[in-house]
Amino acid sequence: MFFIPGPVIAALTFPGVIVHEAAHLFFCRYFKLKVYNVCFFRLGNPSGYVIHEPSENFTAMFFVSMGPFFVNTLLCVLFCTAAFLPVWELKVFDPLAYFFYWLGLSIGMHSFPSTQDLSNLWTMAPKLAKQGHVLAIVSLPLAGLLVVLNYARVIWADLGYGIAVGVLGPLAIFKALVR
Amino acid sequence: MSATSIPPGTTVQTSPKAVACARCGTQIADGYVPVSGRPSFCSSCRTLVEAWPYPQWLRLSLVGLLVLLGGALIHGQKYFRAGRTMYKGERLVEEKRYAEALPYLKQTLKIAPRSDKAVLLTAKAALLTGDMQTAGAAFDGHDGGKFENGKDAQFLEVSTIWHRAVDAMKKAQAASKLAVQDGHEAEAARMMHEAAAQYPEMPSLRIAAEAYDGGVAFEQKDYDRFLAISEKAWKEHPAADSASGMASALGCKYAATGDESFRQRSEEMLQKAFEMAKGDAEELKTLNEFSERNKYRLETRVILTKSEYDKRFRSSSGQPAAH
Repeated sequence: MFFIPGPVIAALTFPGVIVHEAAHLFFCRYFKLKVYNVCFFRLGNPSGYVIHEPSENFTAMFFVSMGPFFVNTLLCVLFCTAAFLPVWELKVFDPLAYFFYWLGLSIGMHSFPSTQDLSNLWTMAPKLAKQGHVLAIVSLPLAGLLVVLNYARVIWADLGYGIAVGVLGPLAIFKALVR
Repeated sequence: MSATSIPPGTTVQTSPKAVACARCGTQIADGYVPVSGRPSFCSSCRTLVEAWPYPQWLRLSLVGLLVLLGGALIHGQKYFRAGRTMYKGERLVEEKRYAEALPYLKQTLKIAPRSDKAVLLTAKAALLTGDMQTAGAAFDGHDGGKFENGKDAQFLEVSTIWHRAVDAMKKAQAASKLAVQDGHEAEAARMMHEAAAQYPEMPSLRIAAEAYDGGVAFEQKDYDRFLAISEKAWKEHPAADSASGMASALGCKYAATGDESFRQRSEEMLQKAFEMAKGDAEELKTLNEFSERNKYRLETRVILTKSEYDKRFRSSSGQPAAH
């Protein structure tokens, strides 16, 4: 396992950081939460952020925290699908396809919500889950898994996730289309 | 990352006396009444925090990306078609429907001749339908058959089939060389049977082996068996060569029995062979050579091998053989 400084990784995959923060902002606006500050990308830690007001509405907090996970994953599948066949299966050298694959993987790599995002959910979810809140029940194992994966970033879990989504997603789509 | 705190360095005033904007620090003098426990903002910051705008560059980037994505999808249509035919071919190969898979996989190779997966699937489907030519062409188009991962299970599987087929073809070639030499018919037939057993996916080897059995029967002067084998070959594989084989066997039967019906049928089959060979110069050449010998056989009722006939009537013996 080799170490590459976070800012370098962020710089190489900056579209993913921008999409991640844009997704946070989108859901803040959608649920009408006040946003105090936004940074879409910077060479620092964190490489981007959205500072917003807290909310008692769990649904709003769920989507604000987990929104980037779903949006980045979806966009990763979409962009990788456009490039999957020439890059992985057909072995055709097509620069545009490689550009899209880089874009897709960059976006996919930044799918994981930050520990801060997850802690927001983690504090609210257990109580609501006991009351039978479906989204809270769903969010508990998902948040738990993402916390583990977040810590596993040191062993490139984020890149692994991006590749898995960028390969398995398009593969599943194409296989389903052929059936 | 999102955070539910006020940016560092800002001060949140919660008392009724609060008049400073929690975001920019300017004094609020627009009649805003602060709520306890919530930050106060000036009118411009209030507008901003309530609906933080998407920057223009972000909107333009999104439009640009969508345009690029649309372009990539249009540009990638040929890849989608190639991928579709490859997956369809792969599914048919998994279902062991190799002959049906082959046209799809050949389509894929037109776009992606260097794709390991497409090449190996094509080669497998081709080899398991007895089509070595297509398998060979697929390998040639892929760096002359070089593959990055020589330990890949699919590569090893196809490689095993390929070597089995190549060995069988070597035996078949050796058998065909022996078959034109008088007195080696039995050995040629044995080798051709071995080749057919080794590579049963290629029906032409079995047909050739049976034809060589006919040669053995001819050599042993067992013309009933020669005729039975020739009839079977003609029924299973009606073509110019099997028609001429039957003409030869019927000619032998006429020579041996004097039964005019055999002679008549022999001439009819030869006629049929010429009709079926139309446009095939090589086959016509073989038929012309045989036609002369068969005519001699029918007119004299003397059965000669090609070598005997060549020695007696021809100066050279470089022409192709038929019994």
